[in-house]
Amino acid sequence: MNSFNQKTLFSIFLNQLIKRKLALICISILFIIYFIGIFAPILSTHDYAETNLAKTQNGPNMENWLGTDRLGRDIYTRVIWGIQNTIIITLITIITGSFILGISLGLAAGYFRGKIDIFIMRLGEVISAFPDILLIILLAATLRPSIISFGHYIEDTFGFRGILSSGIVDYLVIGIALLPLSWFGLMRLVRGQVLSIRNAEYVQAAKAMGTSNFVILFRHIFPNILSPIIVSISFSIGAIALSEVMLSFFGLGVQPPRPSLGVMIGDVTARGGASISVLRNHPEQLLAPIIVVWLMIFCWNIIGDALNEIFNPKNQY
Amino acid sequence: MLEYILKRLIWTPILLLIASFFVFFMGNIAPGDPAELILKNRATPEKINALREEMGLNKPLVIRYFSYIKKAVKGDLGDSYIFQGKKVTELLIPKLLVSIKLNIAVTIISVLIGLPLGFYAAKRRGSWVDPTIVLSMLFLFAMPVFFTAPLLITIFAVKLGWIQASGWNGFFDKQIILPALTIGIPGAAIYVRYMRASTLDVIDQDYIRTAFSKGLNNYTINYKHIIRNSILPILTLLGFTIAGIFGGSLIVEIIYGIPGVSRLALDAIYQRDFPVLTALVLIGSTMLVLANLIIDIAYTIVDPRID
Amino acid sequence: MIKKMNKIIVLALSLIFIISTGCGSEDSISNTNTSSENQSKLSLAPKLNEKSQPSTNQQGEKKSGGILKRVWSDPPTLDPHLVTDGTSYGIVIEVFSGLVKLGGNPNEPIEPDLAESWKILDDGKTYEFKLRENLKFSNGENVTTEDIKWSLERAAHPDTGSTVVEEFLGDIVGIKDIIEGNSNNAEGITIIDDEIIQIKIDAPKAYFLAKLTYPTAFIVNKQNINEGGRNWTDNPISTGPFTLKEYKIGQRIRIARNDNYWGSPAYLDEVVFNLAGGVSMAMYENDEIDITGVGLADLERVEDPTEPLNKDLIIVPPSFSVSYIGFNVNEPPFDDVKFRQSLNYAVDKQLIADQVFSNLVRPAYGIIPPNFPGFSPDIEGLKFNKEKAQNLLNESNYSDPNTRPRITVTVPGTGGSPGLTTEVIADMWRQNLGVEVEIQQVEWATYIQDLHRGRLQSFSGLSWQADYPDPSTFIDVLFRSDSALNNGNYSNKEVDTLINKAQTEQDITKRVNLYNDAEKIIVNDAAWLPLWWGVEAKALVKPWIKDYKFYSMTIPTYQYVWIDKDIY
Repeated sequence: MNSFNQKTLFSIFLNQLIKRKLALICISILFIIYFIGIFAPILSTHDYAETNLAKTQNGPNMENWLGTDRLGRDIYTRVIWGIQNTIIITLITIITGSFILGISLGLAAGYFRGKIDIFIMRLGEVISAFPDILLIILLAATLRPSIISFGHYIEDTFGFRGILSSGIVDYLVIGIALLPLSWFGLMRLVRGQVLSIRNAEYVQAAKAMGTSNFVILFRHIFPNILSPIIVSISFSIGAIALSEVMLSFFGLGVQPPRPSLGVMIGDVTARGGASISVLRNHPEQLLAPIIVVWLMIFCWNIIGDALNEIFNPKNQY
Repeated sequence: MLEYILKRLIWTPILLLIASFFVFFMGNIAPGDPAELILKNRATPEKINALREEMGLNKPLVIRYFSYIKKAVKGDLGDSYIFQGKKVTELLIPKLLVSIKLNIAVTIISVLIGLPLGFYAAKRRGSWVDPTIVLSMLFLFAMPVFFTAPLLITIFAVKLGWIQASGWNGFFDKQIILPALTIGIPGAAIYVRYMRASTLDVIDQDYIRTAFSKGLNNYTINYKHIIRNSILPILTLLGFTIAGIFGGSLIVEIIYGIPGVSRLALDAIYQRDFPVLTALVLIGSTMLVLANLIIDIAYTIVDPRID
Repeated sequence: MIKKMNKIIVLALSLIFIISTGCGSEDSISNTNTSSENQSKLSLAPKLNEKSQPSTNQQGEKKSGGILKRVWSDPPTLDPHLVTDGTSYGIVIEVFSGLVKLGGNPNEPIEPDLAESWKILDDGKTYEFKLRENLKFSNGENVTTEDIKWSLERAAHPDTGSTVVEEFLGDIVGIKDIIEGNSNNAEGITIIDDEIIQIKIDAPKAYFLAKLTYPTAFIVNKQNINEGGRNWTDNPISTGPFTLKEYKIGQRIRIARNDNYWGSPAYLDEVVFNLAGGVSMAMYENDEIDITGVGLADLERVEDPTEPLNKDLIIVPPSFSVSYIGFNVNEPPFDDVKFRQSLNYAVDKQLIADQVFSNLVRPAYGIIPPNFPGFSPDIEGLKFNKEKAQNLLNESNYSDPNTRPRITVTVPGTGGSPGLTTEVIADMWRQNLGVEVEIQQVEWATYIQDLHRGRLQSFSGLSWQADYPDPSTFIDVLFRSDSALNNGNYSNKEVDTLINKAQTEQDITKRVNLYNDAEKIIVNDAAWLPLWWGVEAKALVKPWIKDYKFYSMTIPTYQYVWIDKDIY
């Protein structure tokens, strides 16, 4: 990777992107999905927890655009709040796993090498030695009760409410559980990239001029390894959406009444059975959340592929 | 190179010790007292204490851990809390074998579909074939198994009656086809991506261009040079197969009624059967770490530049 | 016993069979003193709900054997002395047997099994059993009174590790000494000769015989256990109508006809329990299993008369159970009776039953289920009344939402959502009262522990099933101040007095009245929010499976089942 001037990089990027129609379509789809999710409070037509037993299991109609579930809750509203839930989890995981741990540890390991490098790599190896799904479930199942009682303690001590009902605790648990998955791959990538350019002339020159390590890392090295990071993150977002579904399937995601796509799918699939029945009898209840999850995974992969081709025309992983 | 391999060999057991200690520790902080769990509602403080004493739970964590490891080295992974009187190893091994067989089938399907498609897509770069292959594989990849597994059962078992809706009759039986396809096809998408990329890499190498310009025939170039060289990085992906044994096929095993390790693992987590869980992680980690070790060593031998 | 009720969907789907199998799972018969006289009179009142498919069994028809297949779960144990749960119970009662057993006859629920007859001597303190002639273990060895004595002593021995032996056999003189490890001999069990054995208990307790129907009192083979060691249940030698042929954990259990059974041998060659899971509805449609429960999602389709499956549909009689949301009355805001009443009045159970559960459940306004002795149709309960609910809330100490303590409803479960009931009720409280609650889902193991320790403020997803036909199985066990299973810490002196009176009352009508009075107080105190009485499930049974009967209590059934080869 050569050191591009930021401006040319961006214009190349735009030019390339316009050539890729499918990627553009995917970006638009994701834009719409995320827009709906972020503005769920405004766009929702009902209260997500509001049951209405006068109209259970209705098909799509004017009042309930995607119909209602067995408790008469509006499926459209629950889907868009579920999207918001996925967005929050994605953000948490990317900020903590990718940015804070993955990138900074990768930079540190690659740049300083020596003991720091060995320690970080060993730590990563230990974590990646676990079968990942088992580790996620283990973490979520064992941490949740302790974190919830800690939340209760905080609320009771300071005499206010809302920590638990806001869902922060759930997000904390999910964030921690997904952490081991998200950082090591990116860390290794960043480390490798740093290793490959740390002896480049401009880095050596900066060093010789007495520039501080921090400045070298973030002004000279980081911008030049940005593109593989973007590619890697864009691939991982789809996977995070899927992880949320998995956790909810095992009852370890956000707690009700907050809706989540995983609960909507897992609810009827729980213990491996009923989804066939729902699929055969009330497909509309299952299809909306499944299509959204499917779109997220599909589109982020297409975008990842496109970005990859644009940034690394030779190295197409 | 020898030094590197030696270092790895020394590090591996340490790695496993740390990993297993972590699970042991998690079992310790998890809510739910094993003695209480076994005694159920007959638990009185005295009974709990007596049982804790008997089970050695009153000893410090580190001491318990080392006595566990001592036994584990001899092949004794303790007794299950839930299945009374059953050794963890007798519970685990038959199920592990089922999951291993399923995942071998999955890998075979992924490789048989993924590698040729990936290779073909790379060879036809620039034509409509390449994006079609990549896109359709991605399309399948993104489908959640929550959806595909029930759908396949409905079509092939309930409607067409070709196979049973549930069951496991070993590796050489048609019952393995649906579950293996359910995981294998999305898995193939990953192989397509890697194979395509690594083939493109090789195609663009100078020696391949030279080979073409020297007029060597297509067959020789394809098979002797391109495939042989592009398959090497794919080796890494075999680690997936091993990781998949422990939980990768979880939902599929549950929906298809396959007596694999996933269900046991899940129940162990939910029912706090930590002897089973610790053993699972220990075995899983060992397999994963050893596989990575072998792959690493293989790489070092093939390509000594790696350190 | 407590049974899982966290998900009606799942419950009705396939677990209904598994869960409702054990009638004496974790919790045993309580300490009520019913005389045997009362017992039989009482039993006239309940109908054991022997609904079943219409039996096409006419005389002269050939009953053939074959294999019956169904879905089951891994039993935690197959050692009868260790059984504490319904899943194990359902298999163990088919393979092992004891002196007496539970039968399907509502008038005489306790039937002779290995014992041909018994006499009660010494003012009800000594039971004398006469064994059948030519009793044999499945390996052909004779069953002697020695085996009976050895088995009961073995159940009590600390090395066996039974957690329920004290409950079921503790009345026998000398058994407690064995449990405590001070003795190896139960002096209360006396062998008279090869066929006659006497069991002496510490006080005249009429329910003692009923306790002997539980697997803790079943007969095992000494040599089998001594040689088999800890894994003896892999190849058990037993006395039931079936023998265990194969058990592969997580895969299947096969039980085969026991040709050495004392009674007429079973028609079926084998019963195969599939343990690997899968989609039971699809498996049934594919002829892979012969019996399945029908989930809510499939109900509409199956109930459609044009659907081919419709003709297999069978109504499973409701078990004698009640599900509820429990309140811990020691913890605010549940310490205020008006607040609890308000929560009761705010829930429209009939609407939920109609709209959400397709009327598979029956709203419970009292505690004791219909058809059960002591059921009183007079108890109206706290029926839905929004206005009353709001008034009561305003009168309560917790009318101000800002100062009201946090309410957490804990539900057991591991699936995606905590169950429809809890979610819809939480929303009814919110809509009708403005009371917000937090729902927490924890795994079953943790849930049970927290429940028994009294750590839960409010708990849902529970159902209580009768262990024996007497109102005490509900009222005493769940509401007496000092009962270990009074998980909500409900305490009312008046109720305690009524219960104490009822325990010693010999007149059946008076006794039932005493219980009804207690029940009325409990309901008005809103100790619980009672939800549903016995889930009436729908099941599918293949037409060629004959004489498979569903009962409200779990009793050995497969020995009577046969297969009509003409249809098969």
